[in-house]
Amino acid sequence: MKTIKYIMMLFITSLALNSVAASIEKSIEARQSYMKLYAFNLGIAGDMAKGKSEYNAEQAKNAAKNLLSLAMMNNAAMWPEGSSNQDEEGKGITRAKPALWSTYPEVINKHKNLVTALERFSLLAGDGIESLQKGMKSVGRGCGGCHKQFRAKNK
Amino acid sequence: MFNSKKMPRPLIYLSLMGVIIGSLLWWLSAPQTLITQQQVNSIKVDINNGKHLFYIGGCSSCHQLVPALLKDTLSNSPLKETSLKETPSIDSEEAPIPLAQLGGGKRFTTPFGTFIAPNISPDKATGIGNWSDLTFANALISGVSPSGEHYYPAFPYTSYTRMQLQDVLDLKAYLNTLPAINRQNEAHQLSLPFSIRRTLGLWKRLFFSKEALVKFDNVSPIVKRGQYLVEGPGHCGECHTQRNKLGALNKQRWLAGAALETGNNEAETIEVPNITHDESGLRDWSEGDIINYLETGFTPEYDVAGEVMAEVIENTSQISDEDRAAIAAYLLAIPVLLNPEE
Repeated sequence: MKTIKYIMMLFITSLALNSVAASIEKSIEARQSYMKLYAFNLGIAGDMAKGKSEYNAEQAKNAAKNLLSLAMMNNAAMWPEGSSNQDEEGKGITRAKPALWSTYPEVINKHKNLVTALERFSLLAGDGIESLQKGMKSVGRGCGGCHKQFRAKNK
Repeated sequence: MFNSKKMPRPLIYLSLMGVIIGSLLWWLSAPQTLITQQQVNSIKVDINNGKHLFYIGGCSSCHQLVPALLKDTLSNSPLKETSLKETPSIDSEEAPIPLAQLGGGKRFTTPFGTFIAPNISPDKATGIGNWSDLTFANALISGVSPSGEHYYPAFPYTSYTRMQLQDVLDLKAYLNTLPAINRQNEAHQLSLPFSIRRTLGLWKRLFFSKEALVKFDNVSPIVKRGQYLVEGPGHCGECHTQRNKLGALNKQRWLAGAALETGNNEAETIEVPNITHDESGLRDWSEGDIINYLETGFTPEYDVAGEVMAEVIENTSQISDEDRAAIAAYLLAIPVLLNPEE
């Protein structure tokens, strides 16, 4: 009887652990998709800014608004504890450094800087190519704020 | 006293040989300054150009005061945090960029030991506030300190030596306008024989040169300007080129990427990308992509620069459009090199 209990406990514990691992994996997957959405919208605006595609005020504005929406989204669930590149579940699939979870309030301030840059960008992106170009520079600085400190290099 | 009659002849020859070799090495390793007072006297400085050079050189990437030291340093200084802001003249609509506080303190772990970035703020007691123009010029162009010692090439004078004297002195004039930070320098933590600075004289004989790294037969002014920026003040090759066991750049692999040893353990390296126009490098990047990257940090796929390169972008985003274009033109004109493993 004792052995059955022991096996059951092991089974339940392993299920629980698997479900945590799966949820961390899903969170990492979700945030990587989230970053792709950023890149997609940045691409629309950025290609116009560097003359790769023709400037279209409406499309530029929409891309900028999408970026702001992304930044305003509550994405806390995508960043659970234990999902850094040093954690067992995150090794090899994420480049997020552990400092992202321990460097407060800096992380929050950097996010605020990005939101501020995107708020401005969403107001100006439709005002002509020059405004769009200036805005891209500020947005780049906003994105770089976190990537400089909290994302590890590609191996 | 020395008595040759009592000494066996071979020993005398050996001793003499030792003295001659020792003297020769001592002479060969002597610090040499390349700039004279007369050259310095002929220069009239331009602070605006100095500011531009400051961003091209990215001085703050290494010398910016370590944040943990900021609070203590400010408490010893008449400066207040609010006084450390400026509005960039380049684009007044952008958020203000904090003035650089070049108090140093950043640590660089390497296979030779740990280097600690010195204070290059204009503080007279602990920084470079008391340095003359000549001293500063010889630090950057000759790699020689005010006390006449060799600098370690962790300070990239190996690239700065290609700078024009005008630009060097303009840079100093701009550095003098930045906040003075009172922070005592710390000694580098190096093991023997690297702790003997004199040995660097021999290293310089082997590896220190003002020569251009890429020989072009016929080149446009824009590529020429890019060459000056990349090989000189921009010192891009210091990270993007593989080093040999003595820490010198492998010029045959110019800008073809590097695995930089961190010094934490033998196996640990940081991969720095190939930035020649090879498939493993910038093959898919147009000139516009490179210019845009240097301005915004966005790659052609709209990923964004991270870590050390993000610091570089903070600087290159502040330089002129013309110079970003010149850097791009040069990178597209240099020989294409494969990654080492290919």
